[in-house]
Amino acid sequence: MTATTVELDQVHAIAQEVFAAMVDGDLGLLLPWDGALPALEDAIVAWVDLHGAWSGRAVLVTERPTAEDLARALLDLDDDEAVSPADLDDAFGEIANVVGGNLKSLLPDPGTLGLPQVGAEVPPVAGAVRAQHLPLSWRGRLLVVDVWVNPGGTSTTSTTGGTR
Amino acid sequence: MRALVIDDSRTMRRIVAGTLERLGFETLQAEHGQEALDHLESGEQVDLACIDWNMPVMDGLTFVTKVRANPAWRNVTLMMVTTESEHGQIVRALAAGAHEYLIKPFTPDAIRDKLDLLGLVPVEEPA
Repeated sequence: MTATTVELDQVHAIAQEVFAAMVDGDLGLLLPWDGALPALEDAIVAWVDLHGAWSGRAVLVTERPTAEDLARALLDLDDDEAVSPADLDDAFGEIANVVGGNLKSLLPDPGTLGLPQVGAEVPPVAGAVRAQHLPLSWRGRLLVVDVWVNPGGTSTTSTTGGTR
Repeated sequence: MRALVIDDSRTMRRIVAGTLERLGFETLQAEHGQEALDHLESGEQVDLACIDWNMPVMDGLTFVTKVRANPAWRNVTLMMVTTESEHGQIVRALAAGAHEYLIKPFTPDAIRDKLDLLGLVPVEEPA
């Protein structure tokens, strides 16, 4: 499979659908990022690996306060309610899981989906190339969706980060 | 009615259970298929199980297969709630004995519609 198996507009459509159904209740609140990309401070990363004839990884990156607001929205918490680290990892990981699962369905030979993982940074995968890079604005804050492809087709399973 | 929500994500369990509770269900939760089987084997009465596919310890498809293999649980309605959306996966789950299949992401209305198809939406009191 080539790195263009999943197109950028397909990634955007999936992310929009996931956020509309799970987070916002509205399809129009996850927009392409407009302008230069700011550096992400206190970043949190959630990813899920896809295994099979097409091996790759779906990755979501944002700043921790943004991920906490996402978790509040998912868990129906008040704006000032504290989000536990476990709930933060679980909620952000589940968003990555649903995005990754829907990306997998686009592939000609879907294979299997790993369990979501969350950490401060995503571990590198030898030989993998970034096939798509989609900076998005959610409530005016940066959230990036990346799709990585491992042309060698070997597993991208890693042991770092937190699994739930 | 009583529903068992099986998902390794506590977030997703909370979302699904919350939706079901607003529809009048009492809910139990399990983190994986084996914990859900433990609930059933302990004698918990369940009308509906909402089952994720990809879970540690025991996945959703294995759980469905084990439930369908036990005649004592034949009245439990099984609905997959999963990101696995390929046609082949849906066919596998239905062939194993799942009654319905809901793909993540979903809205509360989508759950209600599936339950309606299954005849499981509790009758609402008139306003």
